[in-house]
Amino acid sequence: MRKTARYILLLLVLLLTSTTLKAQDIVIDSIIPRRVLVRTSSHGIALLNNLDTYLSGYNYTGLGYHYNLENFRDAHFGSYKWKYQTLFNVTGGITELNSSTQYSLMANRFWSGYHPFEIGERLQLLAGVQIQLSGGALYIPANGNNLISAKLRLALAASGMAIYHIPIRGRDHVARYQLDIPLAGAMFSPEFGQSYYEIFGLGHCANTWHFAHPFNSPSWRHTVSFDIPIGSNRRNVTLRLSYIADLYQSEVNDLRTHLYSHAFTFGFVKTLYKVKQGDPIKAYTPY
Amino acid sequence: MKKIYRYIFATLLILFCQGCIEEDKFSNSPAGNFDALWTIIDQRYCFFEHAEDEFGLDWEETYRKYRPLAEQCKNSMELFDTLGNMLKELRDGHVNLVSSYGTSYYWNWKLDYPINFSDSIQRNYLGNNFGYSNGIKFNSLMPDSIGYAYVETFADAMSDNNISIILSRLSINKGLIIDIRNNGGGMLTSAEKLASHFTNEKVHTGYIQHKNGTGHDDFSSPEAIYLERGDGAVWLRPVVVLTNRAVYSSANYFVMLMRELPHVVILGDKTGGGSGLPLNSTLPNGWTVRFSACPILDKEGKHTEFGIEPDIAVNITSEDWNRGRDTMIDTAVELINSFYDKKNEEEVE
Repeated sequence: MRKTARYILLLLVLLLTSTTLKAQDIVIDSIIPRRVLVRTSSHGIALLNNLDTYLSGYNYTGLGYHYNLENFRDAHFGSYKWKYQTLFNVTGGITELNSSTQYSLMANRFWSGYHPFEIGERLQLLAGVQIQLSGGALYIPANGNNLISAKLRLALAASGMAIYHIPIRGRDHVARYQLDIPLAGAMFSPEFGQSYYEIFGLGHCANTWHFAHPFNSPSWRHTVSFDIPIGSNRRNVTLRLSYIADLYQSEVNDLRTHLYSHAFTFGFVKTLYKVKQGDPIKAYTPY
Repeated sequence: MKKIYRYIFATLLILFCQGCIEEDKFSNSPAGNFDALWTIIDQRYCFFEHAEDEFGLDWEETYRKYRPLAEQCKNSMELFDTLGNMLKELRDGHVNLVSSYGTSYYWNWKLDYPINFSDSIQRNYLGNNFGYSNGIKFNSLMPDSIGYAYVETFADAMSDNNISIILSRLSINKGLIIDIRNNGGGMLTSAEKLASHFTNEKVHTGYIQHKNGTGHDDFSSPEAIYLERGDGAVWLRPVVVLTNRAVYSSANYFVMLMRELPHVVILGDKTGGGSGLPLNSTLPNGWTVRFSACPILDKEGKHTEFGIEPDIAVNITSEDWNRGRDTMIDTAVELINSFYDKKNEEEVE
């Protein structure tokens, strides 16, 4: 039984890391890369708790699928060195309140720049700013003219990260915590009793865009991850286990919304190197 | 430096102490579900003032009357009936409670009045060889050469192409009767689409507004609604729209649009009304409630929630009913014929 489980795990690893292995094949120890990009693609299950009083005054709870794609690299602005992260994630799920069913789909695209602070050999703190674009929709088929509630928010956020390297049996394991808090931006919301027919059919859009700030849109996103190197030294594969708490909230036009997603994901870390022929080569990671 | 830390701490405290945005605080008990329903209607229903003027609705009194009854409910079926009865106090066909026990309806907007329609009698006019497209049955009434189109519902989407084809096939006729009796509504966009093929220009037809707060008088300012020319064929010859008390919701809206056009006459009985665009919400036990939320007003800014009076009031007479004749269709035919007779007389003069 254990042997079967091991084969299934190996098959999953091979399937999900086929491109990773190709990318890493080009690494030769003596090259100094022009750019190193760490890409992590994760999949997982999310516990969802959705409230949108435009559709219903009560929490709908259920399970969903969560996909997260992260790119992380060094960047330069003249002589100033910083870290650049892009995130894309999507969560879709089916939630219920007794016999009533709701479908939800939310996507986020984040662009972040960080200033790194080295604290000792193992700990690195990063502080920076982030641009967040979040959008999606909730859908209750049983509702008539308000069966969908659309979400759209563009925000400037504060973002911080703590990265800790833990050597276990001579291999570098990485623990990471990231916190993103939107501070100011713009968000869409219909008026209290406004129909989408009025907004999109008749073009009556007054008072549907609002200045978003922590008092009317107190939201935050926590990410805790742990990178575990598996496989041999030559064909190194890194498994990432993560917990992502995405807590999106808003209260405008007498309408209250919360979209809580607690996702448990697993994925594989790929390191992509951009090199030019003739460059000296050396293995490197931005964190 | 200490001061900076203090500011950072205070900012974080404010951010996290905003707390969670929570759901409505009503329990999933008979009293809790009653309170939830009463509050949803109290905050989101749009015709309190109008219903007060029209038939003296007292919503607070409704609470006092039905709350003790809800508390006494022994099972959820009894609760469903009690809550449904409370909603009927609004006398609004757009207010319903939906559960596994069924849907509660207020039907008196049409059942208290004459039917004024018979599909058996309609067969005598429509014949067996009628056209059928986009849910519309149509034929030419001979020997008067007047088109007849029966629009049973607006529940399905209508296309410019299909409407144009219907109008082209009826174009041999000198006038058109659009029969929307018993049309209980559907999509506003379908009603607009059909009406848009009867005007060549942009016409101001009414206003729409919505609740923008929880108070009974919290409304957005009314925004004008216009009817614009549809793509394809346009019918500008005389049109008679036939109505009865079962014309409701989007069909009522269709009448509101058509009556602003100069070549259109509304004939028959008063419509059933239903001018509030309904929205939905849910109770703690998962039951769904539908309620009027966005009033649509006519060109004079008046509600049409309790119906639109026809230009020419006609009921089907007992004599006609017994001999298989439809008084409304016959009167519409006479009206179109008299229009041309009058026109000919004017030309001769």
